[in-house]
Amino acid sequence: MKQPRYKYSALKLLKHGLTHGDWPRMWNSNELNSSYDVIIIGGGVHGLATAYYLAQNHGITNVAVLDKGYLGGGGSGRNTAIVRSNYLTPEGVAFYDRSLTLYNEMAHDLNLNVMFSRRGHLTLAHTDSALRTMHWRAEVNKLQGIDSSVIDPSEVKKEAPSLDVSANTRYPILGALFHPPGGIIRHDAVVWGYARAADHLGVHLHQQTEVLDILCEGGQQSNGKGPGGKVTGVRTNKGDISAPVVVNCTAGWSSLISNMAGVDLPITTHPLQAAVTEPCKTFLPTVVVSGSLHVYVSQTDRGELVFGASVDPVGTYRINGTLEFTEELAGHVLELMPGIAEMRLLRQWAGLCDMTPDYSPVMGFTSVEGFLVDVGWGTYGFKAGPVSGETMAETIATGKTAELIESFNIERFSTGELVGEKGAAAVGH
Amino acid sequence: MLRLPQQENEIINRSIELEFTWNGKPYTGYEGDTIASALAASGVDIFSRSMKYHRPRGIMTANHWDPGLAVQVDDEPNVRSGSRRLEANTTVSAQNVWPSLEHDLGTLNKAVGRFISSGFYYKTFMRPRFFWNHVYQRVLRKFAPGGKIHWETPSTSTYDKRYVHPDVLVAGGGPAGMSAAISAANEGASVLLVEMESDLGGHLRWGNTSEISNMKSLIKEIESNENIEVLTDSTVTGRYDHNWVSVMQRSHSIARERLVKARVGTLVVAPGLIERPYIFKGNDIPGVMLSGAARRLINLWAVKPGQRAVVFTANPEGDSAIGDLQKAGVEIAEIVDARKGQRIVAAEGKKRVESVELSDGRSVDADLVVVAAGWTAPTSLLNMAGDKPEYDQKAARYFPKELPDDVLATGGIVGNGNFNTICAHGSDTGKIAANRALKLRHQRQTSTAWARNPNIPAPERIEDLRNSLVREEHPECYYSTNEGFVDFSEDVKYSDLVQAAQEGFDSIELMKRYTTATMGPAQGKLETVNAAAVLANSIGTPLAEIGTTIWRPPFAPITLGALAGRIFEPTRRSALQDWHEEHGAAPLLAGQWVRPDHYGDASAEALNVRNNVGIIDVTPLGKIELQGKDVSKLLDQVYTNRWGSLSIGKVRYGVMVGEDGVISDDGVTGRLDDDRWLMTTTSSGAGAVWEKLEDWLQNTSNDWDVCITPVTGGLTSINVAGPNSRSLLEKLVSDVDLSSESFPYFSVREGTVAEVENCVIWRIGFTGELSYELHIPSGYALHVWESLLLAGKDLGCAPFGVEAQRILRLEKGHFIVGQDTDGLTKAPTVGLNNLVKLDKDDMVGLPELADSFTDDQLPVLVAVQTDDPMVVPEEAAQILNGSSNEILGRVTSSRMSPTLKRSICLAQVAPGISQPDSKITILLASGERVSATVLSGHAHFDPSGSRQNV
Repeated sequence: MKQPRYKYSALKLLKHGLTHGDWPRMWNSNELNSSYDVIIIGGGVHGLATAYYLAQNHGITNVAVLDKGYLGGGGSGRNTAIVRSNYLTPEGVAFYDRSLTLYNEMAHDLNLNVMFSRRGHLTLAHTDSALRTMHWRAEVNKLQGIDSSVIDPSEVKKEAPSLDVSANTRYPILGALFHPPGGIIRHDAVVWGYARAADHLGVHLHQQTEVLDILCEGGQQSNGKGPGGKVTGVRTNKGDISAPVVVNCTAGWSSLISNMAGVDLPITTHPLQAAVTEPCKTFLPTVVVSGSLHVYVSQTDRGELVFGASVDPVGTYRINGTLEFTEELAGHVLELMPGIAEMRLLRQWAGLCDMTPDYSPVMGFTSVEGFLVDVGWGTYGFKAGPVSGETMAETIATGKTAELIESFNIERFSTGELVGEKGAAAVGH
Repeated sequence: MLRLPQQENEIINRSIELEFTWNGKPYTGYEGDTIASALAASGVDIFSRSMKYHRPRGIMTANHWDPGLAVQVDDEPNVRSGSRRLEANTTVSAQNVWPSLEHDLGTLNKAVGRFISSGFYYKTFMRPRFFWNHVYQRVLRKFAPGGKIHWETPSTSTYDKRYVHPDVLVAGGGPAGMSAAISAANEGASVLLVEMESDLGGHLRWGNTSEISNMKSLIKEIESNENIEVLTDSTVTGRYDHNWVSVMQRSHSIARERLVKARVGTLVVAPGLIERPYIFKGNDIPGVMLSGAARRLINLWAVKPGQRAVVFTANPEGDSAIGDLQKAGVEIAEIVDARKGQRIVAAEGKKRVESVELSDGRSVDADLVVVAAGWTAPTSLLNMAGDKPEYDQKAARYFPKELPDDVLATGGIVGNGNFNTICAHGSDTGKIAANRALKLRHQRQTSTAWARNPNIPAPERIEDLRNSLVREEHPECYYSTNEGFVDFSEDVKYSDLVQAAQEGFDSIELMKRYTTATMGPAQGKLETVNAAAVLANSIGTPLAEIGTTIWRPPFAPITLGALAGRIFEPTRRSALQDWHEEHGAAPLLAGQWVRPDHYGDASAEALNVRNNVGIIDVTPLGKIELQGKDVSKLLDQVYTNRWGSLSIGKVRYGVMVGEDGVISDDGVTGRLDDDRWLMTTTSSGAGAVWEKLEDWLQNTSNDWDVCITPVTGGLTSINVAGPNSRSLLEKLVSDVDLSSESFPYFSVREGTVAEVENCVIWRIGFTGELSYELHIPSGYALHVWESLLLAGKDLGCAPFGVEAQRILRLEKGHFIVGQDTDGLTKAPTVGLNNLVKLDKDDMVGLPELADSFTDDQLPVLVAVQTDDPMVVPEEAAQILNGSSNEILGRVTSSRMSPTLKRSICLAQVAPGISQPDSKITILLASGERVSATVLSGHAHFDPSGSRQNV
């Protein structure tokens, strides 16, 4: 049931400021129904976007999004909020370009300022082989209409004056792939925007609702799960819910959730660590990524530097973080910007990344009828949130895998048709 | 001047005056002053402007956590002037002000304050569309808080690291911590005692005479105990897995900051308590301070905090503050006792408090409000150790719940008590800590294979039977009205939190993210519990059920400089690199190594190899010595071909793939003896291959008999290539028959080169010429190199660099992993079909390899020549389908060949255009499209191999 949307605007701010009137809730808290048409597990960007597009594009509104914690508490709230579309393979470019388009329109579509800052994205090359790869990516991007080019150190200096581009550093900057449309976005706002919009369209958002089991019948396993079976609902800490369609939009625990339906995923889970500094007056206008130094950095509008790295080498579900990460990070950041030695690291944290063998996600139908997955997003799930939601919604609504995600099917791991974005992914931010 | 006459226990040295400037004006302080105490003594009230509303802010806690005291000191931003010791001749200035601290135009924000409540930016700035990036965002960025980086004056600070292994590390040098340190040390444990402030003593430092005398005797005991090392002005910033503890040490004689990394037996957490602010209207106006701040100012630095005070007290420490204020000559206008239900409602005043409104409706004139509203337990380190503290409503604070065996807590964080009970608890804690640490030490010393005394008895475990400290009752004083600031650094008000809860952000984590409360420099140490209390009130839930946000490392911010330390990433140089540079070699930075790119003319160097003989330093080639009975099993596992049949004296080429079937490395490996092999890898892959081998041996097949020794730097590698290479080596090698018959292609011998014994010589080629690769013990490398040049004078011997080698290998059509292959390239693409043995039982990537041979869509690596021989397409140039933009491949390597005098390429192309003589279209960087032809095989030159097989 569609409710009248309370529109945000400068005028509304003025009105509320003058009257001290209460703002309405961004989303409601609903009773858990005993059945839904679609249950989405995971209240992050992927789950909420899927719910929103199901309602918005396909009129399917009897949908529940379940999260064991709070909305956006997983990868959606832990990533470093970088978006870009300068990928290497045509499939990758098409997919992420659509995501970037949706991000571009999001503030208007969702009537919430997600603060998309198209500040430009630099991927630095410190070796001639890295530079060669940059040229390759730039050439592919140009042919696909993506704004992406290789620039030399003096141009790098213009885009990011705080970088040390001199030749006498340990890892001199030989050039960079420059992608002007890339940037950063307020990741929490994306979560809240989708949550608010989905809620307005009638979707139920259930926080603190943990899925304990997925209920199936007819499958190969003795409990009715596994290939050939059919989903009938989920069991949660708040009771059983029946539904013909259950979608796994989790990260960090996606293989455990899928196991509940008897579906094995070729996923190992690794932590990815990040950190933020105290604020300083802004000096870094672009996003800077260095694959060789395993670091990416951007400065928020509040003046903090946000850093990320590549995933930890050893798989674990622990997200305590390590001291070594901060040491290595600081060393590499100071390689790039020796001037900031006196800035202080304020906080470190980690998120969980579900890695697949080909660094590409697993999306769409599975061997269990009614059980769909949107998982295995590795280190780049946030970038793909909107387009994943859109294509998953289409897949659910039409019963046919959306074209953009056909290559991400789960069967590829048994037929050997892996997707190749790994070449460009190294530190894929 | 507000400096008091000498106080009994002041820590300033009045005989040493320190001059400095504050916002351009000269000031003086004493040695022992903090920056803030020196300024306060000089009558400064306003230290900063707040982030959002640019409200004036002054001293609130007078310690590290003070939200209003961040200043710029010289080039250093965000210095905590509440804890940073004053240094002479420093330039101190306020941050985040324009045009000046006193007259800040940002206060205009105050006028619009009611319109910029929490999350306001999410609700506006959406129109017109392009305005967000071009206008609004730029304005917001101007308001970013914090200090300035001075790019024009590069930092000369030095930073360092230190590793320590204390049995017991005590975090906190108050009475409990000191007692714990002493008793642990007396049990025989080595103890590191870390105190955040500049002196030991904790709250005793600003206590009464008997407290001071107790403190002094504890300090004396510590100083005379040789098992205890004390670090002051140092902070325990993190506790990681296996009691890996980070300590940030300031005031070190050499380093500006030093990261001390401690592997600790038992961690004793004794940080005391952090005093909590109280929420009421005007609670951020300069002149409103916590009781600890007033007591510190008076007793430590002899600063009179105001003239006429209203004191709000809920505890004995607040009562003590009254005595201190009176002693300092501050008039006590009113005592507001929370235990009697009295409350402060509001403070009024512009740049300093002028009057205070009380809950009984009276208004009292005062320039100072001293607040003692309660305590927050700094449980960060305990959280990092897995504890989830629980709220005790009666005591109005959190307490630890469940700690791992190697972490103990003592002091104010676990309860209350007088000096004696606190010290007794600390002492008992130290004893248990020592016992657990010594047991661990014993276990480590006796259970290792090299233990000297494996049979010494283990210490008896002491059970934890400590008397717990009492939890004194304390009124729950969080807020008096629904106005005032909850988070001072983030400018978040009570009403912002209420609004957030109303809008649906009704869990502490969501509220934090929406309002940014607790996200500032103190990371919630002052704010978290108050924020939770406001949330609890606004949604009608008990505070105990709200929980807190998660404390993460670091406990206090650490400079990036200290985390980085001295950066140890040297550039690797072969034993010959000096020679190369002396002889005009252009340096090429290649990964870890610096190499000779060329000696002036790469084409001439290449031609000399084709015509005479050249020598090249290829030391960065990864080299790994493998010994043991099971080496061939390991090689079978990591390479795609088979190795068991390789006979002694032969070498074989191998390719490695990842689990995804993608080519990851290649190289030749030779069998020197029955159980002794030498493996080579690509230069950039040397480390990764070593790790892969170790990983396999340690994690998958740890019963295999293989010893791995990386010898990349130990052996200097020289390739001798060209038609005269055999003649040249024959002059220098006497104990190996170099003739083609007894030393054929793909063989290995050990022998003496230029009188250097134990050299490995293998006959392989990357250049397409007859060539030998020498692996020389590095100490003799220069001798061998110079001997080759001397002996080869009449044979035309000359050095060649990396560029000439790249030309030569491209002429011959040898691909380079990582250049002609990429993150997607599988074996069939590069034509390695005979090298992949799919009938092996197992090897890395087997299933994907098998699949790849049934995939007819894989690109194919081919040799390509442009139809115009003078056009050299750029590497990465795209190969297109005619005039369309459909990508059919790309050029992976390209050069002008000096031998063939034409352009040559390797390219990955779609299978449809991979047949010999296929015509293809290459898009140049200029935008021009040129035509080219696919060759048969990879070689542009000598495809039959007639030059190397001689």
